[in-house]
Amino acid sequence: MGYEPLVNQNPLRVLNLGRGSKQLGLVMARAGLGKTALLVQIALDSILRGNRVIHVSIGESIEKTKSWYDDILQFILQEHSITRPHELIEMVAQHRMIMTCKEDTFSRPRLEERLNDLILQDIFKPNCLVVDGFDFENSDRSTVEDIKEFLESMNQQAWFSATSHRGDDRVSPTGVPAPCHEVDDLFDTVILLKPEQNATIQLEIIRNNGTASDLGSALNLDPSTMMVKEG
Amino acid sequence: MKQNLDQVRNIGISAHIDSGKTTLTERILYYTQRIHAIHEVRGKDGVGATMDSMELEKERGITIQSAATFCTWKDHDINIIDTPGHVDFTVEVERALRVLDGAILILCSVGGVQSQSITVDRQMTRYNVPRIAFINKCDRTGANPYRVAQQLRDKLNLNAVMIQIPIGLEIDLQGVVDLVSMKAIYFEGEQGDDLRYDEIPAELNDEAEEKREELLDAVSMFSDELMEVMLEEQEIPEEMIHAAIRKGTLSLELAPVMIGSAYKNKGVQSLLDAVNMYLPSPTDVENIALDLDNEEAEIIVSNNPDDDLVALAFKLEDGRYGQLTYIRTYQGVIKKGESIINTRTGKKIKVGRLVRLHADEMEEIDEAGSGDIVALFGVDCASGDTFCSKNINWSMSSMHVPAPVISLAIKPVDNKAQVNMSKALNRFTKEDPTFKTFVDHETNETIISGMGELHLEVYIERMKREYGAEVEIGAPQVAYRETITKRADFNYTHKKQTGGSGQFGRVGGYMEPLADEEYEFVDEIVGGVIPREYIPSCDKGFQASMKKGTLIGAAITGVKMVLNDGSFHAVDSSDMAFQQASKGAFRDGYAKAGPVIMEPIMKVAVEGPSEFQGAVMGSLNQRRGMIVGTFEEGNYTVVEAEMPLSEMFGYSTTLRSLTQGKAEFTMEFSTYKQVPKSVAEELVKAYQEQQKEA
Repeated sequence: MGYEPLVNQNPLRVLNLGRGSKQLGLVMARAGLGKTALLVQIALDSILRGNRVIHVSIGESIEKTKSWYDDILQFILQEHSITRPHELIEMVAQHRMIMTCKEDTFSRPRLEERLNDLILQDIFKPNCLVVDGFDFENSDRSTVEDIKEFLESMNQQAWFSATSHRGDDRVSPTGVPAPCHEVDDLFDTVILLKPEQNATIQLEIIRNNGTASDLGSALNLDPSTMMVKEG
Repeated sequence: MKQNLDQVRNIGISAHIDSGKTTLTERILYYTQRIHAIHEVRGKDGVGATMDSMELEKERGITIQSAATFCTWKDHDINIIDTPGHVDFTVEVERALRVLDGAILILCSVGGVQSQSITVDRQMTRYNVPRIAFINKCDRTGANPYRVAQQLRDKLNLNAVMIQIPIGLEIDLQGVVDLVSMKAIYFEGEQGDDLRYDEIPAELNDEAEEKREELLDAVSMFSDELMEVMLEEQEIPEEMIHAAIRKGTLSLELAPVMIGSAYKNKGVQSLLDAVNMYLPSPTDVENIALDLDNEEAEIIVSNNPDDDLVALAFKLEDGRYGQLTYIRTYQGVIKKGESIINTRTGKKIKVGRLVRLHADEMEEIDEAGSGDIVALFGVDCASGDTFCSKNINWSMSSMHVPAPVISLAIKPVDNKAQVNMSKALNRFTKEDPTFKTFVDHETNETIISGMGELHLEVYIERMKREYGAEVEIGAPQVAYRETITKRADFNYTHKKQTGGSGQFGRVGGYMEPLADEEYEFVDEIVGGVIPREYIPSCDKGFQASMKKGTLIGAAITGVKMVLNDGSFHAVDSSDMAFQQASKGAFRDGYAKAGPVIMEPIMKVAVEGPSEFQGAVMGSLNQRRGMIVGTFEEGNYTVVEAEMPLSEMFGYSTTLRSLTQGKAEFTMEFSTYKQVPKSVAEELVKAYQEQQKEA
């Protein structure tokens, strides 16, 4: 794909993350630190490599979700000179599908039904799923296991986001904070976003493809785009 | 008409089709004593609701034209514009919104915020129209106003705050609890005329307290005074809450939510009170005019009746007595017998009869002050024209009008129909800027074009009913366009010697794609290789070529023509010769510039029960659609897609059969996109065959 060089500041590219087909990933941070932006980066990285992505946005509108992509694409277009910007925008739109729903509407059977609708009718065959806004707080381990099992059976790579809270000190033995401290072992990759001074976000990679990692400690991200900040 | 503008309200009633606009308007007119009996929209008495003035609207149970009507409620004058509810008529909606100061957004308590409500709300936001939400049909099975209020927050991003809660729901709907006065209101008597105020039923006390807290929390943001009183835990005066709600509403940061059932005569009077209390008067709204004598500098109209007149013609209607022009005055006073000027044409006209409208009935008046909505008789103008006194030359800012995307050929069945058809088309094009008509000189057919299938269908029906013009219609045609994708040079010599003086001209230069604009001509001729007087001839020749592309004969857009070389002959060069040379040059360059066909893409939203989501997506996918996303709530799903218009013909029938009639869709123009290669090849082939036949 000719667009691949465009995302070389994408943190995933820098870390060479997220290439495994069945991989299940988790992005955690407190509210407002850029989980959605990072998920969108993950999705764009996959799209620019020619894959198809379903972006599941729980509790958000289609319009709002779309605007995340538009904003980051605009940023990429500003940074790189691209001869036919509309073709890139078009390509991203064609390789992405947004599914939004209410908090209480998201469940494994629903997801299964929807994905089957898309795949069996040959409408859209995703290679990667990003799920933003899944309610870990009110979901027990078996629910997450169930979803994981389903995604594995579909041979899907998937990324989830989760919100941690300032007052909640519970952590898993590997350092994953609540509300995911009891399910973190189900994820192959776990990334933590932490605010830094000088208005950047630090990427801490707790686990990469199943092995403990300290790769990310040197990576600072621009909070508005979740791109690697140079210098 | 009130001299005091604070007591004038110009409001619209906008909503999704079938959420009960017409019924609500009918009830408002009844309670404000403009009419003396209530008719139902699809009534058994065959009379139909008063606002649906066109026969067609009565038959279909939908409102197509926005008739303006006047009424008074508790010392306030209210002008109501009844707006159409189908997206194909959004120009009507938008034009209505342009002259409104505020609006009631009606929602069905069962259906909630549907895609049409989203479109209408977006338009209201664009025109900065403050609104009150009215959750109607609370008597229906499945009514849930709380869910609808939540949808207003989620789907429309409105800061929706309930200022009433229902007493009973569905069949048990008895009245409402007003959270400001903390009183129960019952609407009694056969037509709900008698309001009885009572204590809040005991079982609703806790809920009312809780919802009142929510209301106070939300509105205290708009009043420091209120915040203070709340902090000091004093008794809060009702007026203070009303003032805060009004402030929030006017700033568009708050949308008060009222509830009721127009059909069951519940809640309408409270809604009227809210219109008086919370919606803006003409002086609360800033309207901008452009000074045509001063490079279209923006001027805020004064609303002052003593200033020069500024009025906007926003709607034309052809009635039994000739052309009726609805106008909104922004400042000054329009008086019978005075002369005013149409600033678009510069023509002076005399104000003849001046009337205030109530659907089919009218009331003669002598003058109308600023902020009022009235109608003029027998004035020749187009909708969107501005009228001023002779001292000023202003224009109310132009309205956003999209280009038509669909067309079809019509043929009158006989001579009589021919005459009537011309009359009708002349009228419709004046009334509706998105409806266009022209004669195709090659086929000699009359072509009409507009914003969608239904849009054109309605005009064909109107032609038949109102003008007695029966026409045969051809298959709908999509308005394709052609454009170029790369730069190409041209160098063309036009030479003709046929005895006497010949023709000679040579033009050279290049053409390249132009984003966001239709056409640009750049003259880079130096040293007089083409004489000055022939430069416009070249421009003319290029522009003539743009009208018809060589691929499928569609209009060409997005081309920049740069002229930088050429030659001439002292005797044989002429205007005509250079025009011909330019046409030849365009043809040559165009072939090399990678011409492509573009088609209109529509934004389509299909909504219905979730069980049909798969089938709906399948049907969209089959029609070359790109599914943008889905939204699911409970058992209800919206699928958003971008669809080529050419694939959407007959989709309503497909959708009905796929979903047992339980899903519906809306469609609006989004953009032009290049057609896929296979489709382009078919189009070119069809065009070539057609050319051969002709």
